[in-house]
Amino acid sequence: MVESKLLVKGTLPPPLEREFTVIGKPLNRRDGVEKVTGRAKYSGDLKLPNMLYGMILRCPYPRAKIVKLDTRKAEILPGVKAVISKENTKGWRTYWYKVPQLAFPECVTYEGQEVAAVAAEDIDIARKALGLIDVEYEVLTPMLDAEETLKNLPPPRCADEEYPGSEIFDRKTYVIKRGDIEKGFKEADVIVEDTYTTQVSHHGTIQTRACVADWDGKDLTVWDAIQGVWNSKETFAQSLGLPPENVRVIVKYLGGGFGSKAWSQRISYYAAKLSMLTGRPVRIERTRWEEFLAHTRRWDCKMYLKMGAKRDGTLTAIYQKALVNIGAAALEENYYCVQIIWHTSNLHACPNVYLEQIGVYTNRQMTGPTRSPLNMPAIFALESHMDRMAEALGMDPLEFRLKNYTNYCCIGTDAAILPDAAVSDNEIRIPYSSKNLDECMKLATQAIGWERRKSLKNEAQGTKRRGIGMASYLVFQGVGFRPYTAYADVDIHHDGTIALHIGVVDIGGGQQTIFAMIAAEELGVHADEISVIFGDTKDTPYGPSCHGSRATPELGPAVLQAAAEAREQLFELAAPMLDAEGEELQSKYGQIYVKSAPSRSIHFKAVCFKVNPEKPIRGSGSRAPNPNSPMFSTFGAQAAEVEVDIETGQVDILRVTAANDFGRAINPKLCISQIYGGVEFGIGFALSEEGLYDPKTGKLLTRNLHQYRMPTSLDIPQIDAFLTEAEDPYFAYSAKGAGENTNAPTPAAIRNAIYNAIGIWFNDLPITPDKVIQAIREKKKGG
Amino acid sequence: MTEDENSSKCRKQIFLTVNGKNVKAEIDCRMTLAEFLREELGLTGTKVGCNRAECGSCTVIMDGKPVYSCTVLAVEAGGRKILTIEGLMEEEGKLHPLQEAFIEEDALQCGYCTPGMLMSVKALLDRNPHPTADDIKNAIDGNFCRCGSYPNIIKAAIEVSEKMA
Repeated sequence: MVESKLLVKGTLPPPLEREFTVIGKPLNRRDGVEKVTGRAKYSGDLKLPNMLYGMILRCPYPRAKIVKLDTRKAEILPGVKAVISKENTKGWRTYWYKVPQLAFPECVTYEGQEVAAVAAEDIDIARKALGLIDVEYEVLTPMLDAEETLKNLPPPRCADEEYPGSEIFDRKTYVIKRGDIEKGFKEADVIVEDTYTTQVSHHGTIQTRACVADWDGKDLTVWDAIQGVWNSKETFAQSLGLPPENVRVIVKYLGGGFGSKAWSQRISYYAAKLSMLTGRPVRIERTRWEEFLAHTRRWDCKMYLKMGAKRDGTLTAIYQKALVNIGAAALEENYYCVQIIWHTSNLHACPNVYLEQIGVYTNRQMTGPTRSPLNMPAIFALESHMDRMAEALGMDPLEFRLKNYTNYCCIGTDAAILPDAAVSDNEIRIPYSSKNLDECMKLATQAIGWERRKSLKNEAQGTKRRGIGMASYLVFQGVGFRPYTAYADVDIHHDGTIALHIGVVDIGGGQQTIFAMIAAEELGVHADEISVIFGDTKDTPYGPSCHGSRATPELGPAVLQAAAEAREQLFELAAPMLDAEGEELQSKYGQIYVKSAPSRSIHFKAVCFKVNPEKPIRGSGSRAPNPNSPMFSTFGAQAAEVEVDIETGQVDILRVTAANDFGRAINPKLCISQIYGGVEFGIGFALSEEGLYDPKTGKLLTRNLHQYRMPTSLDIPQIDAFLTEAEDPYFAYSAKGAGENTNAPTPAAIRNAIYNAIGIWFNDLPITPDKVIQAIREKKKGG
Repeated sequence: MTEDENSSKCRKQIFLTVNGKNVKAEIDCRMTLAEFLREELGLTGTKVGCNRAECGSCTVIMDGKPVYSCTVLAVEAGGRKILTIEGLMEEEGKLHPLQEAFIEEDALQCGYCTPGMLMSVKALLDRNPHPTADDIKNAIDGNFCRCGSYPNIIKAAIEVSEKMA
């Protein structure tokens, strides 16, 4: 039994000292019935009495100055109730994540940026009103490609606050270094260098952002499509000048997030403002093309890598230069200035590294959290390059990775997420709290039949060639400080009701199910006996936004602590009923019993009758910040088998095996669903998804779901998912996050499998059939 | 003639059956079936993820066939039988076997594609009670699920088809 080091403030809950009764069970998600019957009401499904409909006028150019804006014709259109623009909201700031930004700027820095918003009696009138707004632009030459942009000086600004965060990130180089890179390359027997590019990609949530805001003269209620209610409540209050207690944010159901909805965005602030101006509820819903233009996308990256190793496969040096296209806006919490190089630094052991990451502001769409934000590009480059090295060394790629296995991380999480130093030169080795990556790599490769890699070439049939490849990943877990502090309350009522209050959103990962299971285990009741109050800032304590695989590692310990505290109080009431002391008691399956004599027992609910009807028992939990050591991470490896058609260039994925170390799975059924989701995301990134821009005008060309090609049912192969279970005493029952990062290794695994099939390295994602055919032709020409 | 006059003239009365109930309504001819279901009848289980026949979240069954209700005009639905997710339960409180299987196999995460997905699978099983996995993949290839539930959706559909006589 590992000693508990649960990440909580105050008293550590006592150990459970019995087998699990709830944890590890593949329970069904709690909101299944609502979702399969269509009863689940998402924000855009709400229709309040007297509700107005809002629409947003967007700039059609990536970079422009508004020289004239006249909204008068729109304002007098019958049915129009309010029009807002820079003309009547001077100085008003909405929030882009945590960062205040002019609600309607004078200078537009990306295509689709908001110019005005209207509220009208119906959507047709609103649409017509947009057409009546007279706006003239001075169109400016946009900055598009990061590398090209970097060659020139930044253009003069036409207004302040044009590019939020640029003072910290634009053209700044962040470095991670350790050891002596020159010495490292001198020691190397083999050196391989190459450049990798990854594309603009989008979240593609099936629900577009939608929001209903209702101002009653005192209180503002916002039904939003966001991954966090508490973070958004605070910024609504700040933006609109309201006391936080007068703002309530509700998200009962969310139609996909993947980072795009990590925080409230402009449409919600506009809906709120329009409601405050008209005194009526306002609904604004984005169309699909607006979603492509106005939500945050994934950064496009160019990554040069140079790696050196000794003949026996020991890595001696890694040099990297990564260039990231930040687009028009980024700031703390939505640009991760060392994330690429952090992953390059830490996935494999290497004593000498010099890694640079440079971000460049352009007039492409804004960027922000996107499932494995910069991890997926980083892992693609690194794990692709690892296979290049293995090939050059004549080593098996799996063996090469195991040879450079490491149980420690070389910098703390602080250096990874705080932009406080442009150079980080930290050689402190921090051990991981637990790490099972070697087992994951072995499991994934065994399951795919790794030994067939060498013989698959002989099995070529017609134009089809088969191959197998693998890749691994790591990602750090939780932080525990603002804005990700996490609290939980568990109330036990006189009537036997057990209520878990948590201020998080169930974004589809099954958060309410998981936290009910943690509380149920700790209390010794069945999971369905717990009522969960969530997704609402009313009646919940502060909870973190549900992104970055965050909910379970941040909130899990707090929920466990709250439940344990409530249980201890209930045991005090039960003790005289069982003629024992509180600490002699134990509970499971809804029974409280004496540990040494389990037959002396009483129903949990029978004890609840002793609870004061006026004053329920309350247990409270609070997550402590991550310590400086150890390092918390989750890990995983994937292997893919592909079939490449050398005539059409089509890559079919036949099978993916995915093995993951999430600590312990609270609910394996839900964990495996997360892995399926990650693999699907990774397949799209590897083979088909790409945001394309017109090189002249800079306008986004891929603005619908036919042009932006996400995987369909026909693109998804058999996926075999495995969970390796490890003890991690810092988290609730060892459970860490499962949601975010299971897409990170997929593109590299597929790319490495394509090499195994046809002997061509593809370094530029996505690997579309045209690129495959072109490469095959060039290879033939080259003999 | 202004656009307003034009649109006010373009109103039509329609009669149709929605989830077994006769419905009569006077509607704007430009209204889509999805808008009609959601805004006029309050049947918001049908989702609109793209409004241009790409994502499939608005799928309903019209006269036995799955259709994208965002690209069917409400007037075109006149005289027809429409089944939406709200009509899938055979009786109040008793889930359709497909709904049960979707929950059991965790064939949904965020749930936004789920109503459309269920209607596509239901239409498939109505015309082919014993589909192969490939048949199911083909039947739902017009329904996007971004959360990654395809493998579980296929499992759920097969499970139900195996139980069918």
